[in-house]
Amino acid sequence: MTVFSIWPDDVVWRRVSPRLYWRAIFVRAVWLVALAAAAGVSWYGFDQWIGAAAAGGLAVLMLVRLVFVIRAVRSWGYAERADDLLVRHGLMFRRLSIVPYGRMQFVDVTAGPLERMFGLATVQLHTAAAASDARIPGLVPAEAARLRDRLAALGEARAEGL
Amino acid sequence: MEPVLPIPVAESPPAPPATEPLRRLHPLTPLLRGFRFVVVLVVAISWQGYQNLGTTHWAEAVGAIAVLVLIATLISYLLTGYYVVGRELRVREGLLVRRTRAIPLERVQSIELVQPAVARLFGLAELRLEVVGGSRTEAPLAYLRLAEATALRARLLDLARPRGQGVAAQPGTDRTDAIIDTPAEPVAPPEQVVHVVANRDLVFSQLLRPQWWLVPVGVGGTIWESLISADHAIGWIGIASTVTAVLGVVSAPVRVLLADWRFTLSTAADGLRIRRGLLETRSSTVPPGRIQSVVVEWPLLWRAAHWVRVQLHVAGVHDDRQQQRAGLLPVGTAEEAEHVLAQALPGVVLRETTIRPVPPRARVFAPLRASVLGYQLGPAAFATRDGLLTRRLVIVPYGRIQSVRVRQGPLQRALRLATVHVDVAGGGPSGTAWHVDVAEARWLALALAEHSRAARATR
Repeated sequence: MTVFSIWPDDVVWRRVSPRLYWRAIFVRAVWLVALAAAAGVSWYGFDQWIGAAAAGGLAVLMLVRLVFVIRAVRSWGYAERADDLLVRHGLMFRRLSIVPYGRMQFVDVTAGPLERMFGLATVQLHTAAAASDARIPGLVPAEAARLRDRLAALGEARAEGL
Repeated sequence: MEPVLPIPVAESPPAPPATEPLRRLHPLTPLLRGFRFVVVLVVAISWQGYQNLGTTHWAEAVGAIAVLVLIATLISYLLTGYYVVGRELRVREGLLVRRTRAIPLERVQSIELVQPAVARLFGLAELRLEVVGGSRTEAPLAYLRLAEATALRARLLDLARPRGQGVAAQPGTDRTDAIIDTPAEPVAPPEQVVHVVANRDLVFSQLLRPQWWLVPVGVGGTIWESLISADHAIGWIGIASTVTAVLGVVSAPVRVLLADWRFTLSTAADGLRIRRGLLETRSSTVPPGRIQSVVVEWPLLWRAAHWVRVQLHVAGVHDDRQQQRAGLLPVGTAEEAEHVLAQALPGVVLRETTIRPVPPRARVFAPLRASVLGYQLGPAAFATRDGLLTRRLVIVPYGRIQSVRVRQGPLQRALRLATVHVDVAGGGPSGTAWHVDVAEARWLALALAEHSRAARATR
């Protein structure tokens, strides 16, 4: 299997926190509740079965998608090598980013309201190239802080011009 | 007993580093800048304004505007100045909002000396510094005497050089690294002409651009329309719109012609120097190691003449000035391109760029392009090829790679293909190796990371 993967297997991949699953499940659950409410209003309020059927269809699609979302969450991974950071992600659309520490311009640690609810944070590495894409979501704050400090230190040690 | 010291006064601020006096721009600056502005205004008032106002009123209005503009530019001139502190250029400007901008010279990506046609008559020039992150050209110093601008450029480039690689190593100058302490005007290092583009080739190459083909089509269309119309008359509107359209269409090649006239590439100790231009002359200097990527293009119509075009990308030079962007070679043969490339990116040999083709199954995605697509992991740079009509070879030196990305869509996954991207700073053209075999892509990404690490380590 690994022969057909774009992700190298000779590095130590670190996974993101399993709380990211709960975040994904929570988001879907909120949607399901909203859809159920919409279906109820449409059925009882206006006696329209079409609206309820549409909401039901959407809910089923969402549950099917949840399976993929959970697998997609599991696909997030990052590896700290001696000179660069590897980030992998994706199920349908797979991607791998390799960003040398020396090219780092700045690191962001962000946590939105939902992420804070589940005690998560996102670390993003920026280089001078806008296309560079090294974002790791779903880190527990301690790990996010550790990663940020390590990246910052390594970036400083290996700093380069453009 | 110790003498009683006087009560210390508030401690005086630390003495500023030895600064040199503020230098002003050339006294003709307000006149030249004001002139430009007034021309724009007069055009804006336009024919209609002239008709509405009548000649006297129009003359009065223009005169009043001219005086106001002149006063404004004069005040701005009096407030503008520049000076060098250590390894920084400081530019002071602004009437309402006073601003002193400090530009660290190690961060300068390229310096351009521009002489617009009018300024050339007076022997004046403008100096432009390109810095990454600026939204436009930072610190355009307009106008200076040509000799002053040249000397300032030499001095700034000298200061822009990373420490430890001072001019001391350069033959002919016996100066030490104490550049900062000696504000003496450095002598511009001797230049060596690498290549001069024949104007004849430039004219022919620009005539071989597809834009010209639209001219007979457009003109013919207008004539045809008049022929089939009832009164067989070509209306004024038809003629005017045709002329405007034709001018718009051919403006691109004509602009290249004007901008790249007498294109001369030379090398000096402080970098590559590109001189060009017919009415407005430009001389850009790119210090070594500032070239993010180079693109070699083979336009379809040029292939019969075996011509190529080489463009270079420097971070901080903005895309809206793409027309004015310095190419490395506006037109030339493959041999000339190779010669030029060897100067710009040492170690890159165009002839030895053997492209590794994509696997045949990539035809599913790019039935025609698949024959062109490919990449090379060269000794000093990564090269990728793309483009069916205008074939493009993007060359990224390993030392300039910012990050490497591999992407794979579902269909690519089914066919065991992946795409490898190499990102460079400043939004320039990045190398993209499309539809590479999966195992190869994975290997390629790690190899690129390793090459980039090695290139950074040896710097």
